[in-house]
Amino acid sequence: MRRALALAFVLAAANAAAAPRTLDDYRHFRALSIDLIGRAPTRAELAAFERDDFDWDKWLDSHLTGPGYVDRLTRVWMDLLRLEVGPAVTFAPPSATLRRQAITGPDGKPLNVYYRQGQRRMRDATDGEFCLSESEVGFQIVQNGQLKGTPKPVSQTALDASTVVVRPWWLYRDYLSSRPTLRLKEQWTDVDPLYQPIDELLNDPSGKPTEEIRVCREEAQTSDQGTIHASGRARPAPGTPPPEGRLRPLPADDGYAIKHAGEPISCRSSLALNMSVDCGCGLALQYCMPGESGGNDPRAFSLPTRTPLGLDQPIGSAPQTVSYWHKLWWSQEAIHFLGYIVGNDRDFREALTARYSLVNGPLAHFYKSSSAASCCSREKGFNMVQETEPLFDPARLPNDLFPSDTRAWRFIPDRGPHAAGLLTMPVFLTKYASRRARGAVLYNAFLCKSFVSPTGELPPSPEPNLMLRPGCANCHSTLEPLAAYFARVEETEWVYLPSWQFPLKNPLCKKNQQGKLPGYCEPFYDPAFSDGAQGLLRGAYASVDHAEAGPGGAAAALVADPQFASCTVERVAASFLGRPLTTDDSALLQSLTRGFVQDGYRLKPLVRAVLRSPQYRSSNNVRSSVWRAP
Amino acid sequence: MRRVLVLMCFSMCFSACRPPALIPPGATSQLPPSHPPILVDVAPKEAPRLLPAEAYVRTYMQLFGAQTLLEAQQKAKGKDGNQLFDNWGDYLTTLGFPDHRNDLPRARETNALMIATFERLGIALCDRAVERDFHAPMAQRIIFAFDPIDPIDSSQFAERFDVLHRTFLGYPSKLAPPGRIDRYYKLYKDTQTKHAKTRLSPTEAAWSAVCQGLIRHPEFLLY
Amino acid sequence: MLNRRQFIQYSSAAIALAGPLGRALAQSKQASDEFFIFIHAAGGWDVTLWSDPRNERRGIVEPASTANTDTGPIRLWQDAPLDSDVRSFQLIQPPGSRIVFGPGIGRLADFFDRLCLINGLAMNTVSHPDGTAYSATGRHLSGGRALAASVDAMIANELGLTQTFPAVSAQFPSSFAGELDRRAVPLTVERVGSIGRVLARAGAWEKPEERDSVTALLSEEADSLAARAEERGALDGFALQNGSLAKMLGGGLDEVFNENRLKTAWPQFDYKARFQGGRAVNAAFTVEAMKRNLVRCVGFALGGFDTHGNNYKTQAQVQQEAFDLIAELLKTLDTTAHPTRAGRRLSDHCHVLVMSDFCRTPQINLAGGRDHYPNNSALIISGRFKPNYTFGKSDPEQLLPLRAKRFSDGERPIAPPDLLATFLSAFAIPPRRYLRDGEVVPELLRS
Repeated sequence: MRRALALAFVLAAANAAAAPRTLDDYRHFRALSIDLIGRAPTRAELAAFERDDFDWDKWLDSHLTGPGYVDRLTRVWMDLLRLEVGPAVTFAPPSATLRRQAITGPDGKPLNVYYRQGQRRMRDATDGEFCLSESEVGFQIVQNGQLKGTPKPVSQTALDASTVVVRPWWLYRDYLSSRPTLRLKEQWTDVDPLYQPIDELLNDPSGKPTEEIRVCREEAQTSDQGTIHASGRARPAPGTPPPEGRLRPLPADDGYAIKHAGEPISCRSSLALNMSVDCGCGLALQYCMPGESGGNDPRAFSLPTRTPLGLDQPIGSAPQTVSYWHKLWWSQEAIHFLGYIVGNDRDFREALTARYSLVNGPLAHFYKSSSAASCCSREKGFNMVQETEPLFDPARLPNDLFPSDTRAWRFIPDRGPHAAGLLTMPVFLTKYASRRARGAVLYNAFLCKSFVSPTGELPPSPEPNLMLRPGCANCHSTLEPLAAYFARVEETEWVYLPSWQFPLKNPLCKKNQQGKLPGYCEPFYDPAFSDGAQGLLRGAYASVDHAEAGPGGAAAALVADPQFASCTVERVAASFLGRPLTTDDSALLQSLTRGFVQDGYRLKPLVRAVLRSPQYRSSNNVRSSVWRAP
Repeated sequence: MRRVLVLMCFSMCFSACRPPALIPPGATSQLPPSHPPILVDVAPKEAPRLLPAEAYVRTYMQLFGAQTLLEAQQKAKGKDGNQLFDNWGDYLTTLGFPDHRNDLPRARETNALMIATFERLGIALCDRAVERDFHAPMAQRIIFAFDPIDPIDSSQFAERFDVLHRTFLGYPSKLAPPGRIDRYYKLYKDTQTKHAKTRLSPTEAAWSAVCQGLIRHPEFLLY
Repeated sequence: MLNRRQFIQYSSAAIALAGPLGRALAQSKQASDEFFIFIHAAGGWDVTLWSDPRNERRGIVEPASTANTDTGPIRLWQDAPLDSDVRSFQLIQPPGSRIVFGPGIGRLADFFDRLCLINGLAMNTVSHPDGTAYSATGRHLSGGRALAASVDAMIANELGLTQTFPAVSAQFPSSFAGELDRRAVPLTVERVGSIGRVLARAGAWEKPEERDSVTALLSEEADSLAARAEERGALDGFALQNGSLAKMLGGGLDEVFNENRLKTAWPQFDYKARFQGGRAVNAAFTVEAMKRNLVRCVGFALGGFDTHGNNYKTQAQVQQEAFDLIAELLKTLDTTAHPTRAGRRLSDHCHVLVMSDFCRTPQINLAGGRDHYPNNSALIISGRFKPNYTFGKSDPEQLLPLRAKRFSDGERPIAPPDLLATFLSAFAIPPRRYLRDGEVVPELLRS
């Protein structure tokens, strides 16, 4: 009896004040739940829906917000742009990555020493190499951590002369203090769950927790400014064997270093690695990433391998490389940026035009340290020894975001004058590495247009201008001008070439009498479009105006295009309707587009309109004859 | 005869060549008052969409009473290792999640492997749900929020089936296509009758089967 | 005597039954013991290193050389003069071969008498997704979406519906479009090992018969919904895919999809190779699955070809490992018995198509690598194609596709739709059923 009453209670509760809902009503409610909450409705939610006082519009409006809605809309553009970088791309720049080498300590026990590949040192035996010589440790590093020789115990004298102990940022929360004490897992316990250095970084070779690490002396230097160093060595003739005790020749002085020897150089510049002996990784090694080996891309942190529901719901983690760390956070920047626009119902055009962004601790660390590592070995020919106009100015970052603050996301109102929404984020510029790839994806993603090749021949042709070349012109007459917007952003990277250092038309890079450009100009100026008077910046030939306007110009042009609004509407509508729009949807598309523009390009009113449209609300898959059947 | 044929040909040609006759409209008339209204189906006809993998997994978590994916995984595994459930990472691609790092697109339609994955996950959910719910107070039951009486007649089954139908398919079973309740009742009875000895009692196995038949149902997986 | 209504009812039922089931029964009689392997060299390969070898500077062609390639690991690299201290490679033409290779060909050169090589494929694209789609489907993308089914889905639809797994795709660029049977939807997995988990079932809670009852009910539900539906496709697919569950779950397929067991069963593949080692297990899976007659088509990808920067130094090694893997696959198929044809080898009834997104520029770029280029090569290894044969070519100075023959629309190079049309026609599949474009090139077929 009690059981029957209990059941009756459950069923009665379910049917309390039940309104006569049709099957279509239930299906519509379920669809809305799936699309806006991100899951099917619960029984309790159904019961509330069935009540007389259920208000569709109120329900809809209350759910055009929240994590389910944000995730749903963000997914539209993430599926389109696929802003995650795959395993083929590595980013572990030597100037910002500390490798690690195991040696035999004076007591015969293994000992780890951190170093940078290519670090300049005063001793010939170790200049450009690991800081302890073969005579001191018994081996040389061939490459990527492979050794030649037999390790032997290093003397305490040699060890003290070439290395120091440091309390690094990855082990200490208070790493900036003069004597850090808040060590990870000991005094520092409120650690972000995604901040997990791998065991090899946390424990010394004996298995005991690491309190201090040993690092080559040069790498431990803390100054922000160093001096350009020229050893005075002559470059050896080709084929000259390296000196005794070295596998590789002594590093030759760079032409720039010879010319500017003794001048100051920022230690944040990647050139400081090869051009200075007094630049290191800063206090507590804060400007370098740690790695557990001498490999090309050493491992550093345990990170989620897959995040189907976002980073807050990892399903397993594994030790990952330095590259993986960077790539993960690059992608997260784009996701949080899109989430901010969606969640705050911003003008969607800001996805391309905004100078703001959101960063967490690892991203702040990246922009302050590793980001600059892409520049300036080739750029120095133009007196650019560090990024002068970065796409994200590190000076605009807060000082109180630490690399371990993985969950602390801060709004940065202005990244700098060249910032332009997604277009200037590392994840976008790396995923779409060439100028043309960048132009093509924007054309497709935000204008809903494709470059469809005609089935034509591609006859051999000497014409360098792809806008004129037979077989190429059809697509490239549109693509080249689009790509030109990225002429000032280096391909595969995010280095910005300022106009005052890299004029569009540069007389210094004109062709000589043999028709060649000066060697240092070739990476940046296109011989095919240069002449005896001046060199033309690569990628700019199709439109110097676009080249000068830069990514911000691309953003402005795209959002000003009437197709931008209709394409955005189409993307959103197609996503919610679960099918591409057809000509039958023309009236809907026009009406939604009109509304989208009138509402200030905001997504919330657009989504509301889509969800209230008959195409979403009333569509079903039931044949009319069935519907009519008694 | 020949003349008649020629005349017929001429008249046919003539008919074919002259302009079409205009048929003037006749007077309209009203339907008799007793005639029922003619209903017109103006609903747009669309094929159903596949439930996004994210929505499937979130719903799954909610049905497990789990706050996180790992919690759902733990509850599904229980103390039985990988018997009922492996790890989420083993299922992501077959569930249709995209992999943007490797440029693998999202699945937009089912395939046999996805169906197999739905079965694997459905079995885990339903078996654990009967183990949990039938030994929990009513207020804590997530899926089987009723008393599983035995024996059970068709109307008693229908009341309980309605709870499950709402839970998984989002609408009352009385609105389902004809015959559904009877089919599931038959599944229940057959399973209960033929159930071999396992960890589940015949009644538990029967309800688990009904549950599986709903979480794997096209109306759950499509919308 | 049937009245009109009864006649219509019974005919409709018969037609409904005849649909998928009928087609399946009919197709079980068609060419049902052939197997297909589709391999995608993801990223765009440098054809000047293997299929369209160039070892001289000519026009804009800068050949692979000791200046831009790590030649140490390349077994077939023999220096040929290029510059003062820079060496290119000697062309490779095994005795009896009418095909000339570059050193990237690896051990596959030994199989020259089985290879049908197509050069000068006009791609008209240099976008990864578009080139990949064009090669696999014969159509360019539109709005980022594939407009046609991929070749593995086409073949699965025609010849594979009765297999347990008509098409398995381990990162092969499969797509499903058009009015294909839902069973032909390629089973897309990241790794073959993940399939095994999904097929595992515990016996401690319910027995297979109980699970089968649920599956049978669901097929009935799907059929009943489909009968009321305006658009039946998804629901019919449900029913069909549910129907194939029993086959998938029976028969202890753990070994087939367990990576460790595959590696143990087929140790001849190089699972430790630097670039293709991680993918070698797909080759082992292919042989195991075909040996057990579980699949009709297997597609998988090989990687590492997209060498824009100084990683171009490894392009030759990437190719060598890829072609070594294919050679080992052929050798293994040679020594594996056909599952249904007594006395025959798997290789006698196995047809391989190897393709890529496009090729790479003949010039070396500023970063020391090669970029994308709208030319391509493809490789077919099939008893129905002319062996020891090259069709199509590119121009000597710019590596662009040259006119190959006169097609119905005039003289032009061969393009991926033509290749796919020819491939389909080799198995008596009317190309127009799946391909909007493309013509059969009879010159490729064995007479």
